[in-house]
Amino acid sequence: MQFGMALLLIVILCSVAGSLIVQQRSAMEYVTRYGEKQADLILSLGLDHVFSTPWFIAVMILLCLNLTFCSIVRLPKTVRQAKALLHRAGHAAADHSLTDKQHEKLTAFLQQRGFSTRQSGESTVYYKHLFGFYGSFLTHLSFLLLLIVGALVMVTATVTDTTVMPGDTITLEDGTLLTVNAFRIEDETGSLDYTSLLTLTNPNTQRTLSREIRVNEPMNFGPYKVYQQTYGTAGKVLIENLENGAAEEIYLTESCFLTLNGVDGLFYQALYPGYVQEEDGTVTLITSSSYAYHDPVYDVLSVAEGTMTPVLAFPEDEMTLGNVRFTFMEPAAYPGLRIKTIHSELLYALYAVFALMVIGLALCFFAVPTAITVTREGYALHSSKPQTGLMIDIEACLTQEEN
Amino acid sequence: MDILFFAALIVYFAAAVIQLCGIALGKNAWCRIARWALLGGFVLHTAFTAWRGVVAQRIPLANQFEFASGFAWSAALLGLLLHRRLRQEWVLAASIPVAFLVLSYAAFQPMEIKELMPALRSTWFALHIGSATFSYAAFAISGGLGVYYLMQLKKGRAETDVRLLQTDHMIYRLICLGFLLLTVVILSGAIWAEQAWSRWWSWDPKETWALITWILYAIFLHQRIRKKWQGKRMAWFAIIAVICVLFTFAGVNKLLPGLHSYAV
Ligand code: HEM
Repeated sequence: MQFGMALLLIVILCSVAGSLIVQQRSAMEYVTRYGEKQADLILSLGLDHVFSTPWFIAVMILLCLNLTFCSIVRLPKTVRQAKALLHRAGHAAADHSLTDKQHEKLTAFLQQRGFSTRQSGESTVYYKHLFGFYGSFLTHLSFLLLLIVGALVMVTATVTDTTVMPGDTITLEDGTLLTVNAFRIEDETGSLDYTSLLTLTNPNTQRTLSREIRVNEPMNFGPYKVYQQTYGTAGKVLIENLENGAAEEIYLTESCFLTLNGVDGLFYQALYPGYVQEEDGTVTLITSSSYAYHDPVYDVLSVAEGTMTPVLAFPEDEMTLGNVRFTFMEPAAYPGLRIKTIHSELLYALYAVFALMVIGLALCFFAVPTAITVTREGYALHSSKPQTGLMIDIEACLTQEEN
Repeated sequence: MDILFFAALIVYFAAAVIQLCGIALGKNAWCRIARWALLGGFVLHTAFTAWRGVVAQRIPLANQFEFASGFAWSAALLGLLLHRRLRQEWVLAASIPVAFLVLSYAAFQPMEIKELMPALRSTWFALHIGSATFSYAAFAISGGLGVYYLMQLKKGRAETDVRLLQTDHMIYRLICLGFLLLTVVILSGAIWAEQAWSRWWSWDPKETWALITWILYAIFLHQRIRKKWQGKRMAWFAIIAVICVLFTFAGVNKLLPGLHSYAV
């Protein structure tokens, strides 16, 4: 057991290091943050990625071996102990004496506490929670399974992050089609909501499912789980070629130069969620917002005849540069989706392990196996753990009788 | 209605002072008065919490103020339940100061009611955070009882004295309860994280420190199986481990921001 405790102590030390030292950054960042010498030490010991270092994984493997020992290997011993308790209690001599009245009081007290009885020669054995012997087995087993199943879940799951514009469809690995029908940042009342309406279709099975997803409400479809992960707002502009009448709407997600002849055109710089107009007419731009862009402002440069002019444009504004007309439109909010593939069996196994752990601990703590040998002359308490509370309660019940 | 909050704080304070005097002077009647005061404070605190829940239209455990208030409320409730079970005044020696101190901490946090942010709108919210308040309260009371145990030893009581045996046992039972609840906190947190962010575990500072606290108490429970870890050592352990609990509760939010930063 002491070796196991030493391993747990190492996990604590690693966790402290992993939480105090920022993880997974560039070598340069460690030098800037902690100085050259400390950065050297951090990098050489792998303290920049504690939880994936070979030695941390080795500690986890040793922990698993240790847990195997204190659950599975120890099980026969646990079964023997469980069986031995009643036997031991049946043959034990009383080590606390009782008067007749106390005997009566004690038996009533034990019955009231829910003890079962079993006759063994001259003595009666009161017993309770014999199944509690298996609490420690279940707890250790569940912890072992948690580490194993958890590792399997981590290794087998694949995660892809993608952004999809409303109305667009993407094709997933097995041919499943994912369409973002709509996305909204706020609900009807103006509260933050971040909801995407998705449709997934498996062309092989023709199965289709439409659902709204939001934070905390991912969508399951076959092996996929789709999460509402992030969001963004893209500018949108209608570009019309005045020579041939061709027109196209495009999204603006990063700065770019829109031009037909390579000389005149529109240089898109940024989109702002809103602005505040001061009394003197000056405009201050609002640089960021978690909400929808209610008063969007396009920050652009118009490039014409070799000169660049900064312009703030608003939806519905038009600008003609060269032979191209640019019409600014309402920006579009779009979702960042996380698509995870998982084996649902592993997921259910993990849930089962969680439940097992809680049950195991509850048995360990609240179902302590106890047997009490009661004879005419006295009683003796047997348990797998010190039963201070019960002893004190029995003493109190007996002395109350005497008073 | 914040007046209810401050009224509860003042009543807890009065209860703590009366109780401390009662313990110092060995006057049981004072401790009884302190218990009634605790009950009064608890009623006010419950009314405040219920009112806040109604106004916010959610369980009021969504930020550091509400969580601290829930922690203090759980400490008061656990204290009253322990007293109901044991019918002895000394069992409140830790619950009353814990309820008062944690609620005082809450008083220094921003109190305004805010809309629940989308990341917190989950069915796991109540279980995860509700069990955390009770778990921390059980650990904090066990630490307080550790102090009480050492004080009684200093006063000359023997380790075999019934009062000290009971205190030691109570510390152990509270740690068992806290440990079980902390397990629920960690497991429900993992399920919730998977629903919200797709990852069961991200070694976020709050998660990591909850795990550190959990392992620390697991080590303690194992050491206790060996007899020499009962009594005085157990009391010291219970006190020292509370520092880790308090760091997980408040320190992490202030010093190691991560995914749980909204809890500030
Ligand atoms: C990794 C090494 C570990 C070893 C070698 C180990 C070993 C042991 C042993 C020998 C016992 C006594 C069992 C008995 O008397 O029936 C025990 C009890 C226990 N173990 Fe572990 N254990 C380990 C890890 C853990 C972990 C990680 C947990 C956390 C869930 C845990 C939870 C418990 C509990 C709750 C008990 C019962 C304690 C009590 O009822 O007071 N163990 N362990």
